Amino acid sequence: MTVQDVRGKEFRLSDGTRLQDLLDVENGYISARIVSDPELYELEMKKIFARVWVPIAHVSEIPNKGDYVLRYIGDEEVIVARSEHNTIHVVLNACTHRGMPVCRSERGNSSHFRCPYHGFTYRQDGQLIGVPAHKEAFGEALDKELYHLVQAKVAIVYGLIFATFNDNPPPIDEYLGTMKWYLQMMLQHTPEGMEVIGVPQRWVVKSNWKLGGDNFVGDAYHTFMTHYSAVQLRIVPSGDPKFAYYGVHVSHDNGHGLGLIGAPPEVELPRFYGVPEDIAKKIEATLPPGQQKAFERLAYIHGTIFPNMSFGYFSWATEDGKAPGSYLTLRQWVPRGPYEMEVFTWVLAEKEASDAWKHLARETFVRTFGASGMLEQDDAEMWSNITRATKGFIAREKLNFIYRMGINRKPEQGDWPGPGTVYQGDYSEQNQLNIWRAWARLISE
Amino acid sequence: MTQKTQANISLGDPTYLKLQGFLQEEAYLLDQGAFREWLNLLDPEVRYVMPIRTTRERVHGSGLVDQMVFFDENYASLKKRIDRLDTEYAWGEDPPSRTRRFIDNIRIKQLDERTYEVRSYFLVLRSRGNVPDYQILSGQKVDTIVVYDDGCKLKHRLIYPDQATLGVENLGIFI
Repeated sequence: MTVQDVRGKEFRLSDGTRLQDLLDVENGYISARIVSDPELYELEMKKIFARVWVPIAHVSEIPNKGDYVLRYIGDEEVIVARSEHNTIHVVLNACTHRGMPVCRSERGNSSHFRCPYHGFTYRQDGQLIGVPAHKEAFGEALDKELYHLVQAKVAIVYGLIFATFNDNPPPIDEYLGTMKWYLQMMLQHTPEGMEVIGVPQRWVVKSNWKLGGDNFVGDAYHTFMTHYSAVQLRIVPSGDPKFAYYGVHVSHDNGHGLGLIGAPPEVELPRFYGVPEDIAKKIEATLPPGQQKAFERLAYIHGTIFPNMSFGYFSWATEDGKAPGSYLTLRQWVPRGPYEMEVFTWVLAEKEASDAWKHLARETFVRTFGASGMLEQDDAEMWSNITRATKGFIAREKLNFIYRMGINRKPEQGDWPGPGTVYQGDYSEQNQLNIWRAWARLISE
Repeated sequence: MTQKTQANISLGDPTYLKLQGFLQEEAYLLDQGAFREWLNLLDPEVRYVMPIRTTRERVHGSGLVDQMVFFDENYASLKKRIDRLDTEYAWGEDPPSRTRRFIDNIRIKQLDERTYEVRSYFLVLRSRGNVPDYQILSGQKVDTIVVYDDGCKLKHRLIYPDQATLGVENLGIFI
């Protein structure tokens, strides 16, 4: 399928290049220009981030009325706040009067947001409620009722907060499609669901933002080279260099995708990632049978919710002789221009779990992923160097990335109980092509 | 961290100089890539933790959060990190960074007979590849150091970064 097939029309960049000449999804070639062109970056802000649902926070980060956090949709800062009526609102962090950010603390609790420039004051949902010296300054020329911080629509799915500035977005269930089944499995396998431990880690990588999502959505294959140190050190408990092969590779509509990896039949895996018995009982009572069967024997899940929220559900051993720990991590690749991204990364554990289980989750996460993680350190090294190597004219013109792994393989459900387009064996680049297909469709629209 | 009311040990006191020397030796070993020698300076029960800085209003204080951290280490996990650097597959630090650690503003309090709380400022310059820009980390360390007759051991370290969004692409280095 070419981009033209998708759209039935051509989309051209300012130098006359047709978008369809940059992506040959059918044969598995993607031009390096796609991860390095500033013109495409501007188009992404307009045609992707301003239009699709973007996951930006988790409800457990703002549990109380008045709680808020600052986040990004594309490269623009938004306030995610819980109102006095317990509803969640997302607004652009820029005053309606002159554009000054009305909130400059990245998290907290407040009954209102007051602009430091002229004192315009807003309710948690963004409604203008106060203007200093209103009578003398504006009189009847300003009716507070008419003004509101630029407002996004909000949808909450298994605790994950999505927002969009699109006035007519697709219904969230339609946007997520069959991905939702997997989000339920990861985020809501106990009655109270997962909760964020503390706050996200934040750091900057000089990488195009799309490289993070491209990796997480489907690149099980990089593990045996990039992360071979983890195999040698038995952070991967089996010590098998091909540990990330033994699973399924699953694509969904709109660019979402994930891989779910267990182990060969002869390798023992702890049930439900080794959760304590009380949590295992809750999973049995909470998760529908299909998800329960899928979740029962896994060690690694990796995936991306289009456009820029990835997740990992991993099990690793970080000390010799100590049982592996498991955790769910969310990570947002926040664009900061074509050559840089800010990584937000959260770790989550079951809300009902003991402090000991949560501590083990946090400890295992920090040692393996996040800024100091023994696996993630090496990912950042790859992505920043790719960005450095592909921003030049020659790479943009002549380098086409090979996305041919699994291209001739047909979908095969096998005994996998989950929905989506399922491929057996997680070494594949179908999910990556699926992202690029969704990306191209939006850019060319 | 325990806050004793004792006065700071004054600059130039032999104990001050000994602990200052310890921090300088540590920085030197890390800058040389002598990680196993550095490990010898750690107590087997060491805790090595780097909380997260968040941006908050003045009224809310430092913005430090310890429910989530950048490092959550003990002796075994630090050793694992060092073993990793020797695997030939630790790409984030191979080729290695050139690092230069500067330690200053040392303030010391005695906690018990052999144990001292040592607060210091750090500035780490990290140079990678042929990129002329430095990755920079600054902040404060709060250490608990035990002084033995034959040398000092680091028992506890809290690393408080100044940046709420770190300007390094990874924390493949020790602080």
